[in-house]
Amino acid sequence: MLTVASLTRSQLQTRLAGHGLAVRTGPFTSLIRSPIAYIADGIALLYGDYPLEDAQGFADFHVHLRRSGGVRRWYRPQVHFDVDGLVPFEPLPEAHAFPMLEWALNWCISTRAHAFLMIHAAVVERNGLAVMLPAPPGSGKSTLCAALVSRGWRLLSDELALFRPHDGALVPVPRPVSLKNRSIEVIRDFAPDAVLSQPVSNTTKGTVAHLKAPSASVARAHETTRAAWIVFPKYEAGAATELTPIARARAFLRVADNAFNYSQLGALGFDTLAGIIEQCDSYDFRYSDLDQAMEAFAALEPPR
Amino acid sequence: MSAGDTWRLRPGQAVRYRHWDEECVLYNDLSGDTHLLGDAALELLLTLQHGPTTEAMLAAVLKAQFDIADDELAAETAALLQHMNHLYLIETLAC
Repeated sequence: MLTVASLTRSQLQTRLAGHGLAVRTGPFTSLIRSPIAYIADGIALLYGDYPLEDAQGFADFHVHLRRSGGVRRWYRPQVHFDVDGLVPFEPLPEAHAFPMLEWALNWCISTRAHAFLMIHAAVVERNGLAVMLPAPPGSGKSTLCAALVSRGWRLLSDELALFRPHDGALVPVPRPVSLKNRSIEVIRDFAPDAVLSQPVSNTTKGTVAHLKAPSASVARAHETTRAAWIVFPKYEAGAATELTPIARARAFLRVADNAFNYSQLGALGFDTLAGIIEQCDSYDFRYSDLDQAMEAFAALEPPR
Repeated sequence: MSAGDTWRLRPGQAVRYRHWDEECVLYNDLSGDTHLLGDAALELLLTLQHGPTTEAMLAAVLKAQFDIADDELAAETAALLQHMNHLYLIETLAC
C-alpha cells in the first residue's frame, strides 16, 4: 500500500496541481486538487501515513482549492474552495489555505455522509472501548482529545463521531486534530514530541494549528470499535477535575443536540442513538489540569 | 376539554420510546421531534396504544400506577393530556 509519504515533495505538488491527490481517510477517499504551496506543505507534514488511491478512480469528495484570479492574486491572494461545483465558503486569505482544507473536508463529511449517524464529537479508544466527547466549540474538546492521543489513546476523530446505524459500531476517520489559540501552546508543552503544523493566525477561529494524527491510529483506520462512555468536557480555569454522571434520557437529548444529521435520519437516528446511549455511561467532565484529566480517563470503569 | 372527552393517539404515532431511570425519550413520528417524558405521560401513551380511552379512564390508570392525591388527579391528568396534545402526540375525539 502506497502512502502519501512515498511521494517526493515535487511529485506531491505535481499531483495536487494536476489530476489531484486521492487520499483515503477512514471510509472516505478525497480527491484534493490545489496549486497552493500551503496545501502541499500541510499534506506533506500531516498526511504522510495515509493511503494513496488512484486519482482516476472513485472519490467520495472532489475538493478543489484554487487561488483568486485577476489582479487580486498579486496584492491580496485568496483561496477559494469548491466541491462538485458548489462554493459553500467565502474565500479566505491564501495563508489560511490548509485550515480551509481541513474545514472543507469536515464540511464534505458532515453534509454528505448520511449513511452514518454523525455527532460533532471527538472520539478516542483504548482496549477496545471508546469514549465520545461531544461538545460545542470552546469546550476544550480538541485539547483533551490531543492530550489523550499523545498518551496512547487511539484517535478515531477530533470532529466527527460516525456511528453505523445497523450495528452501532464507531467508524474511525482519523485526521489531524485542530487546535486553537492557547491550546496550541498547551499541547506543545504537554506533548513536546507531537508534530504540529505552523500556526495560522487571524482565521475566523483565531490562531489555528493542526496536530498530526498518531501513525498507529491511521494504520488502524479500518478497525471499528464500540462506544463505552460519553463525556461532555468543559474546560474551566482553576476547576477541580470532576466527573458527574448524567441520566441516560438527558444524555440522549444532549448528544442529539450535537448531532449533524439526527433529524434527517428520523426514526433510524432515534434507534441508533438509543442503542448508543444504552451501552454507554455518560458524564459531565469539568477540568483545568490535563494530567489530572488523563488520570480520570484512565480510571473510567467499563459500563456494566 | 372535559373529563368526558375521549383521547386517542394521533394516527401515525408509533410510540417509539426508550425508558431509563423514570424518564423516557420518545420519537414523535409526526413532527420528527424527540421528547423527554416522565413515567406518567408514558403510561398514558401506552394505554392509548390499545385504543381510544376516556379522560376519566386515563385518570384511573394514573391513580392505579402513581401516588397522586384524589383532589389533584383530574387536574394532573388534564395537564398531562394537554401537554401531549400540544406535542402532536394525541388528540381528542370530542367535537
